[in-house]
Formats: sequence, C-alpha cells, structure tokens
Amino acid sequence: MDASGTKIELQPRVICQRCVLPESKPDIWLDEAGVCNICRDFDKQKDSYPQAKLLESDFVKILNQNKSAGKYDCLIMCSGGKDSTAALYYMKKRYKLNPLAFTFDHGFETEDALENVRNAVETLGVDFLLFKSDFMKEMFAEIARSDDKAVLCHPCSMWYMGLTFEMAARFDIPMIVAGWTKGQATHQPLMSRCGCNVHQAEFVSMSKSTQAFLDRYTKANQKYKDFPRSMEEVLATAKKRHKAMVVSPHWFLPIDASEYVEILKKELKWQFPRLSYPGLSTNCYLNFLSVHNSMKNFGYTHYHVEMSKMIRESLLSRQEALKLLEISFDHEVLRRVMEKLGLLERV
Amino acid sequence: MNVLGISCHYHDAAACLVSDGAPVVAVQEERFNRKKNSSEFPIQAINHCVQDGGITFADIDAICFYEKPFLKFSRVIIDHLQAWPFSLNNFLQTMPHWLQDRLTLPLTLDKELGFKGKVFFIQHHLSHAAGSFLVSPFEEAAILTGDAVGEWATMTYGRGRGRDIKILKEIRYPNSLGLVYTAVTTYLGFAAHEGEGTVMALASCGKPRYLDKLREIVHVKADGSHILDGRFFGFNKGDRMYTPRFLKMFGEERKPGAKIDERHCDLAASLQKFTEETLLTITRHLQHETGLDKLCLGGGLFLNCVANSKILEQGPFKEIFIQPAAGDSGGALGAAVYTYNCLHNNPRSYVMRHAYLGTSYSDARIERILLNHNMVFKKFDDEGLSKFVAKKIAENKIIGWFQGRMEFGPRALGNRSILGNACNPGMKELLNAKVKHREPFRPYAPVVLEERAAEFFELSGSSPFMLLAPMVKSDKRPIIPGVVHVDGTARVQTVSQASNEKLWRLIKDFEGITGVPIIINTSFNLRGEPVVGSPEDAIACFKKSDMDFLVLGNLVLDKCDNCQA
Repeated sequence: MDASGTKIELQPRVICQRCVLPESKPDIWLDEAGVCNICRDFDKQKDSYPQAKLLESDFVKILNQNKSAGKYDCLIMCSGGKDSTAALYYMKKRYKLNPLAFTFDHGFETEDALENVRNAVETLGVDFLLFKSDFMKEMFAEIARSDDKAVLCHPCSMWYMGLTFEMAARFDIPMIVAGWTKGQATHQPLMSRCGCNVHQAEFVSMSKSTQAFLDRYTKANQKYKDFPRSMEEVLATAKKRHKAMVVSPHWFLPIDASEYVEILKKELKWQFPRLSYPGLSTNCYLNFLSVHNSMKNFGYTHYHVEMSKMIRESLLSRQEALKLLEISFDHEVLRRVMEKLGLLERV
Repeated sequence: MNVLGISCHYHDAAACLVSDGAPVVAVQEERFNRKKNSSEFPIQAINHCVQDGGITFADIDAICFYEKPFLKFSRVIIDHLQAWPFSLNNFLQTMPHWLQDRLTLPLTLDKELGFKGKVFFIQHHLSHAAGSFLVSPFEEAAILTGDAVGEWATMTYGRGRGRDIKILKEIRYPNSLGLVYTAVTTYLGFAAHEGEGTVMALASCGKPRYLDKLREIVHVKADGSHILDGRFFGFNKGDRMYTPRFLKMFGEERKPGAKIDERHCDLAASLQKFTEETLLTITRHLQHETGLDKLCLGGGLFLNCVANSKILEQGPFKEIFIQPAAGDSGGALGAAVYTYNCLHNNPRSYVMRHAYLGTSYSDARIERILLNHNMVFKKFDDEGLSKFVAKKIAENKIIGWFQGRMEFGPRALGNRSILGNACNPGMKELLNAKVKHREPFRPYAPVVLEERAAEFFELSGSSPFMLLAPMVKSDKRPIIPGVVHVDGTARVQTVSQASNEKLWRLIKDFEGITGVPIIINTSFNLRGEPVVGSPEDAIACFKKSDMDFLVLGNLVLDKCDNCQA
C-alpha cells in the first residue's frame, strides 16, 4: 500500500444511475439504462411484495413484549456516533427505559467518539460499560498486511456483536438496541430472529472473502481458534444461548438524522468528529483502512450499500450520498493507522 | 393533557390528538393506506398523531372512541333478529368483525400501542355534536347532528352552552334521513358513502317530481322527526337497502355505469328537495325549542353543502358552524374534545378556523423524493412561485398543488388540491378529460378571496370549509363559467390571508392577471382514490394523469419535462 500522505486516487467505476453502487460482477451489474440489478430487484419486490411500513407502535410493541425482570431494560451498543447516541437518547428519554450503554474499543476508537459517549451517559444518567481490548490487533494487522480481500470491519462487527450478546446474557438484559439506520436494516426488523444480510447480492463477495480469510487464519492461529467465521455463526450461537432481541429504533421512527443530530448537540453536547468517513458519520480509525481496501478490492464499501438502500427508499438523495461518500481522507491518515497496527516498517 | 381520539371500523377511520384542548394533529387513515374511506384501525394515523404532536405513546393520558360499541352491537343484534332469516348473510359477514375488533378496542389498544390507560367511549352523535359545537366560535348554540346511523341514533337535536352539551331529542334507527339518502344513492347506481355527493350534484339536473312519493314512504312530523315505511327499506335484509316494493314504486334501479336518464335526475332532485325540506322543518323546530340564533351541524349528512346553504338561507338561524370533517372522521376529533372539555371539565380554548391538521413535508424532503424519482423540477421562491402558477392557471393549465399541512376531512382546501381556471367555460371538460374523469354533470368548486366573496356569491359570511353552495350572482356567472353549476350555485370555499396565505397570494396574483379573484379547486386525487397524502402519492397521480404542472412546496414539475419519468 502507498501511504505517502498524498490524496487517495482510486480507479473510477461506472455507478448505477439511481443509487451509488458500481458495477461489480458477478454480484452487481448495470442494465442498458445504467440501473443496477439491486435497484431493479427492489422495484420488483416493492410492486410484488410491498413491505408493511414499520411504525413506532411496532417498536413499542417489541419493547412491551421484551420487558426486563432485571435492572436494565436494554443494552445499547453505543459507539458515540449520531445514530447510536440517538438510540441511547430515545431509549432513555422517549421510552423511559433504564438502559445500560455498552461501548467497545478495539484500540482504534477516536477520542471524539468516546467523548460523545461519555457526555451522553453522564447527561442522561445512564450506567456505562466500556470494553477495551487489543485482542483483535493481530488479526487486523494480518488483513492489512496481506493482499487478502477480507473486509476489516467484518470480523470487528462479529466480535462486537458476540461480546454484546455475552454482556446482555451476563446482565440478564432481554434486548439489545443498536443505532442502525434504515439503510442498515435487514428485511425483517429483528436481526437475531432472521439472520443478517450477508446473503444480499451486494455483500456476497465481501462476505466470502472475509469468511475465507477467517477459515484460513483462525485455523492457523491458536489465539483465534474460537473466533466465529461469520456473523451468522455469531447470531446462531446467540440464538441458542442468549436469546436477546436486537433492534434499532431508527427502523421504526420517521425522524431524519438531521433532526436528531440537533437534539443531541443541544441536549447531550454531542459533536461530529473532526475526521471520519463517510461524511457526517463517526467511525474508528481502522475504518479508513477498511474503506480504502474495500474501494480498491470491490469498488464500493458497505456504506455505499447502506446509502443505496436509503436512496431507494427516498431517505437520501443520490447527490447527497455521493457527497457523503467522497473520499475525504488522505494517505497520511492511512499511514497513522498502519503505524498503530505496527506495520509502518512496510510503508 | 393529551387525548387521542379514534374513529374506525365502519368508514372514514381517523385519529386526532388533542393537546390541552387544541386539536394539534388530525388525519384520516386512508391517506396512509391508500384505501378510500378506509375503515381499518387507524394505526398509521395514530403513529403520525403521536410523532407530529411531539409526544410519545407514554404521554397519552386518555384514548377515546367515537361511539359505544356495545350499544351499537345491541342495535345490530336486534336488527338481525327482526330481519331473520333474511339477515343471515349479513350476520355471517359482520359477526367476525364484531368479535375480533369492534367489541375489543381496549385489547386492541393494549396490543397495538401498549396503552393501558383510560379509554372513553363517547356516543356516536355526541361525538359529532362535540366535534362541531366545542370547536365552534359560539359560546351557546343549538346543535343538530345527522348521518346514516350511530348506535341507535340517526339524528340528534341538542344545545350547547360553554362546555355543556345536552341532547334534547334523538331520532332512532331505522328512521334515518341519512340512510334514505344512501339507499337512493345506491338505487341510482352510485356507491354508498361515496356517491352521495354525486347524487347531490345530479339533483340540480332534475325536477322533484317524486317528492310526494318520498313523502309517502318517509313520514315527516311537525318537529321534523321522521318515520320510514319499513315496507320500502331493508337495511339488513340482503344486498340492497330498498325492497321490491320500492322498485315497484320507482322503477328499475340504475346499474353502476349505466346511462343516466331523466327519471334518475328527477329522483335525485326529489331526494335532495325532500332532505332540504325535512332539515328545514327540523331546524325551525330546533330554533323554536332552544330560542337560539346560532347552530352547529355535525355528521355526514351535513357534508351536503346544498342543504347546508338552504338551512343558512331559509332556516331560522342567523349563523351556522359546520366542522370540516363533518363525517365519521371528525368523530375522532369530537370524541377527543368531548373527553377533554366535558369529561375532564376543562374550559374551551380552541376555535377551528382551518382544517390544516395533517401531514407536511419540507422542501428539502420533497426535493430528495423528486430526485430519487428522476423527476425534472425547478425551484422558486414564494413570490416567483405564486406568479408563475397564477400565470399557468390563467393559461388554462391544470395544476397539482401540494402545500403545507394536509386537510382534515374529505375536502381539499387548497393544500392537496388540483387548481384550474374558473374563467374558462371549457375547464370542467378539460379537467374531466385530463385528470378527474368524473360524471359530466358534476361541477367543480371555486375558491375565492374571502374579502371578495360577497361580490360573486349570495354569501354573507365566509365558507372556509367548502360546505356551502350559495347562488352565484347572475351578473357574475359569465365571468366564472367553470364553477357555476346548472342551477346557478357553486360549492364555494373562501380563503383568507390568515388561514392559507400561499393560496390567498396565488389567487391574488391570478386576479392581477385576469381581474377575477377566483380559481377552481378540486381534490388532488384520481377517481376512486383517496386524496394524495404524500409527495410520492402526488407524483404517482401526476404520472397517471394529464395534469400540466405539479407544484410540491416551492418545487415545480412540468409535464413536458417529465413525460418519460
């Protein structure tokens, strides 16, 4: 990898006229009109099997059906980003529940994000659990070091999700609440009941690459022998052992992110981080490397998938998405991440 | 205090949130689920009320329903027994609904909303009475409600003072002026709960030569109460609301879509005349009984703007107030204000001066939707938009006009409207051919600057909810041929700067071009569809019709630019 501190130039690809996905055969291809198969499938699905719109009352129903007998009503996966902080805010203020905020730091979280979490839990008076570990550092370094197409964010998500289920079980919490947006929703609202979205065409190549890497790497490394091979495995394990519900309020609320950002800024002293990708998000340092590699290997990232879905559902315009997805970081940022991973000698 | 009012299970399901006495959100379920006159539990409307009302489900202090289900059920059971065995089919069709939904509202509220608080059931006609009187500008008034049927009552006479409502008299099922109107509507080949307005329009095309026959089968007493001859009507005995004897008297029924002949027009005219004279008898009696000079009207019967005008012009009351959602959707509002004012003894503090209580969309959101639909559009500032649209209307273009908060009730009052040139004698045909596809005898309605209304119409006050049909002044009829009905009336809406500035400004600009402060305003929908609720609905309607321009907020779409979209 070139990490010389210059602007990142990635080979431009032809993207769908409607969403922001590029042609990436065999999973994604464009028709004569320049529209991708994912958008076309979405239209067909919408006409043939219109999905019932998720309503806030559906969310209230879920909350009522999953009442806690213990101290905490829900465990909130709180990264300090706008969406998860809003989820925390909603659960405490809108639904008057007693949540336990859970933040996971693999050593690459930004100080800005952690500051946001601290401000939020303090202001809301919520108990807070911070889990910090460099357990994954070697695996991350291996993905960064090798030419493997595995997506850095995937094993990280698996680990975080698995840990969250463990924490929910430990504190006897029946419900896990995440800040996933409508663009990150699976077809059914409850992730732990239906599995995840790795089988969506947009994720097939990425998931296969990650799974192949994990198969190979975890077999060869005793330290990671128990590490799950896929998010499905995490969920299957959770379903057997923990049975906590995983849900995001954003799937049910018709509230635009710009609206809740204003509330968070005003009430929780929340701030956008100085540097993050995509625009108006809060992500860790490793994310820059993950984005760079995904763009290089696949021509798009999971953020492109998320935003494309939001475009199809008119929650975001294509122009807005393209602006948010512009690569705003340079090689200097990547260099610092590589340095943190102990790989600087290779640059 | 937050009170949620609900109406549903029959037609026009709706929800209304009343916060500290003021209806802050009110919307019909049909605008979300796109089923015209939807009867379904208004779950989407309720969600919208909570979110747009700035509260949470936990903040709802009380929920009230617009009628008493068990009382209604008693009427239904007795009616079935009386009509047995002819009511068997109806019985089998309706009982599952009763057992699953209609008698179990608290369970539904718990299941759907997690609501375990107080649930109030307000009698159907009391909801209508409250929905009119408690939001009226009157401290004291007579109240008249009428529709097909509530629990047992089909019409009530009452009076209101402060926050106190007294029902003085009720006419009970099966004696129902509303059911007679609906029965004849279906006899004339139009759908129940939808075609009554069409029959009202058709009435102007005929002569009331069946009036005596109607008087024979519906006996009206001196106080206006009426008794139906059961040999001619059967509301629960099969597919029809009328009997073979009725057919013998009036001839073969008209099949939907069949040619309309003179006999049909004359029966419609007779029905309308009969309704008007009965209502006049009732209002005279009511005025005599109460000694009051103000009247509040509620219930679906008073969506009949021609009859309303007759009550105002020929009746004994000096002023009348009719709630814009006079039908069952307005029952949600009525039940909520009754619960707040009457059951919880809170003073009245709200007067319903406009009906803009529904959904709204920012220009930014609309723009996003347009971009994602690949629509070509232009942005205007307020002034530029008004001038541009006024010019296009003057050029006889048809405009889809989607602005601000949606209207509550069946009428489009300038925020979900289709606009046209009232000065064009061919505008009705143009609108029918390009968009609405209505029966040719139905007129289009004018919207006029409130301050200029008296110049054009025989109207002394205002008509903000399009519920009056005064005569157009004879010397003005040639100026606005696009909105004058065959009998010289027009179902007029008056608009003031305070109630809807954007629409007012548009008409003002139209007047600047043409000298006429009136344009055509008809509901933004296609035939058989509910009025559009969202920008997506408006875009779909624009695409399916030959409308010339679609105006969403300050964004304008030209059909010519969007033919391929």
